[in-house]
Amino acid sequence: MILLAKIASTAACTVALATVYTFHEGVIKVDVDESRPGGEHIHFFVPATAVNAGMHLAPRHHIQQAAEKVGPYMPLIRQLAKELPKYPNAVFVDVTDEGQHVRVATINGRIQIDVTAPEQNVHVTVPVAVIRDVADNLESAQPGV
Amino acid sequence: MNHFTRGFLTFTATLLATAALLPVATRAQNATKDNTPSASAKSDQWIHIRVESKDDKGETVRVNVPVELAVKILPCINKENLHAGKVHIDDAHFRDDVDFRAVLDAVRTSKDGEFVTVESHEDNVRVAKNNGFLYIHVTENPHSKHSADKDGKSSKFNDDESRVEVKVPMKVVDALFSGSKDELDVVAALHALSTFGDTELVSVKEKDQTVRIWIDSKNVTD
Repeated sequence: MILLAKIASTAACTVALATVYTFHEGVIKVDVDESRPGGEHIHFFVPATAVNAGMHLAPRHHIQQAAEKVGPYMPLIRQLAKELPKYPNAVFVDVTDEGQHVRVATINGRIQIDVTAPEQNVHVTVPVAVIRDVADNLESAQPGV
Repeated sequence: MNHFTRGFLTFTATLLATAALLPVATRAQNATKDNTPSASAKSDQWIHIRVESKDDKGETVRVNVPVELAVKILPCINKENLHAGKVHIDDAHFRDDVDFRAVLDAVRTSKDGEFVTVESHEDNVRVAKNNGFLYIHVTENPHSKHSADKDGKSSKFNDDESRVEVKVPMKVVDALFSGSKDELDVVAALHALSTFGDTELVSVKEKDQTVRIWIDSKNVTD
């Protein structure tokens, strides 16, 4: 019995530590609701660390293709990834037009993009750290690097 | 319970406690980290752009950009005439026909006052310098507008005059023209702008929309 308790407590510790590590960078949240009949309703969230892990597991040529396309914008992405953490709570763009509303802001260190329209609502929340991780992975995958 | 078991249970309990407290510590650490950049971000100047449409659509556009962020991002953008934070002027007349630096030197060294005043049937233009700021005011004369009514007879209508008011610190103008002859150094101008306090830069009031551009230390829209 004591041995079982030891094994169970060890397993519990391992799971707890794994959970802490998985979620330590935050969560990417996506909510899409279409108002039309039969419209899509997509709601999911994934740990931000999954993006990094996914990019390591994805076929290298796909990452290289993405890196080539993004290449000209890498300095801009790098700088954004570096500067945005300095503004953890700010509204950068807010546009309202004929029942449509678009908002790009940072809330508690996460980039939040909200699009509200009569036909559909889209809400995306991404931790700022994800941009840095994606930029790192794309830069390392660029041809010649 | 022997020593080994007691020690193992103690170790396990410690590990569980660490796992439970680590997210709290991480959040606290992030909060501390956030406080420091927030504190520095609070002292940053922000450029605010507000466009409000008064027509039925009621479109409103609010853009807020920290000056420091703009200064660091602009050199990364290379699009059309914008390269490395500088706007290249293609217009030969601008480059060769007018020596803007000489004009600016003259304006800077002269006493405060009105330099240009143009009053015409259509609009009034006023360019002046006062207290280190360059003022450009353009007012469209409302009585110059005529429209045809349903019978086709022209008639005057009461239209709100359109006003454009630009107020730019002279130091920013100097910084803008500090580059080469055919370039406007936008990054240098932003650097100069960040040293100023709360300042209204551009105000445009038309019948159906208003545009405001100003700089202050607030990171929220009003």
